Amino acid sequence: MSPLVLFHLAALVLLAFGLYGLTSRRTLVGMLISVELMLNGAGLALVASARLTPASDELGQLGALLVMGLAAAEATLVLAMVLVAAKRWGTSDSDRLSALRG
Amino acid sequence: MEQLAYVAYAFYLVLILIGAFAAVRCRNLVRALLGLIMTLFGVAGMYFLMAAPFMALMQILIYVGAVSVLIFFAIMLTRAPAGEAGEEDRKPRPVVRLVLAAFAGLCPAVILAAVLLAKTPQALHLKPELPLARLGQMLTGPYVLAFELISVVLLAAMAGAVVLGFERRKGA
Repeated sequence: MSPLVLFHLAALVLLAFGLYGLTSRRTLVGMLISVELMLNGAGLALVASARLTPASDELGQLGALLVMGLAAAEATLVLAMVLVAAKRWGTSDSDRLSALRG
Repeated sequence: MEQLAYVAYAFYLVLILIGAFAAVRCRNLVRALLGLIMTLFGVAGMYFLMAAPFMALMQILIYVGAVSVLIFFAIMLTRAPAGEAGEEDRKPRPVVRLVLAAFAGLCPAVILAAVLLAKTPQALHLKPELPLARLGQMLTGPYVLAFELISVVLLAAMAGAVVLGFERRKGA
């Protein structure tokens, strides 16, 4: 197998673990950890494609950098949301946070 | 030399596998976070392996340095009043749920892997390492809009987090 396929398979492993965690975790923080796993897989696949195919190298690496920046922004916001949820309902358990009210 | 690269790849893959398994299966969220950090280091090693050292260092700086500290704060600030920090509750998870979750995780990955193996792209030798100055030129030249937009997104996320935090204090 070529190195490109190997790197992409590693990225798919990260995607599979992330999706599994996102659907099986109960707490919001656990789900956040799983989302970070998936975003890492996306970055890995982007950089691997940029480095090992004729595609533009700069574009791939900049794209992966933007993914990292978005992940940081998302983690900040999710942290604030989890804190608000934990303060209001005393739990960050996604099974118990089912009420939707304006 | 090429053999050595495969050995390094296998080592990083093992790091990623063990870390990801811990990140999704550990009941204690602090241990799950440690698993995530292990995975992040594995991915950083893979960036080094494909001669993208800047990406590897950014990965360590942003993910290990900033994002995991944020997640650690989230774990510590949401602890149950009685229990230990970051402990998920003890009631057993239904098996059906785990099976469905495994299906949800494996299904897209297996389909994508099948497509990848069926339509394997032409193997290419590693390009020469991209100089950092070139990345900077692209970021301030043709892709300056993306650069500014990500700054705005980060600023908006930060302001949103602050606003959410204040709202919590006022309502209490």
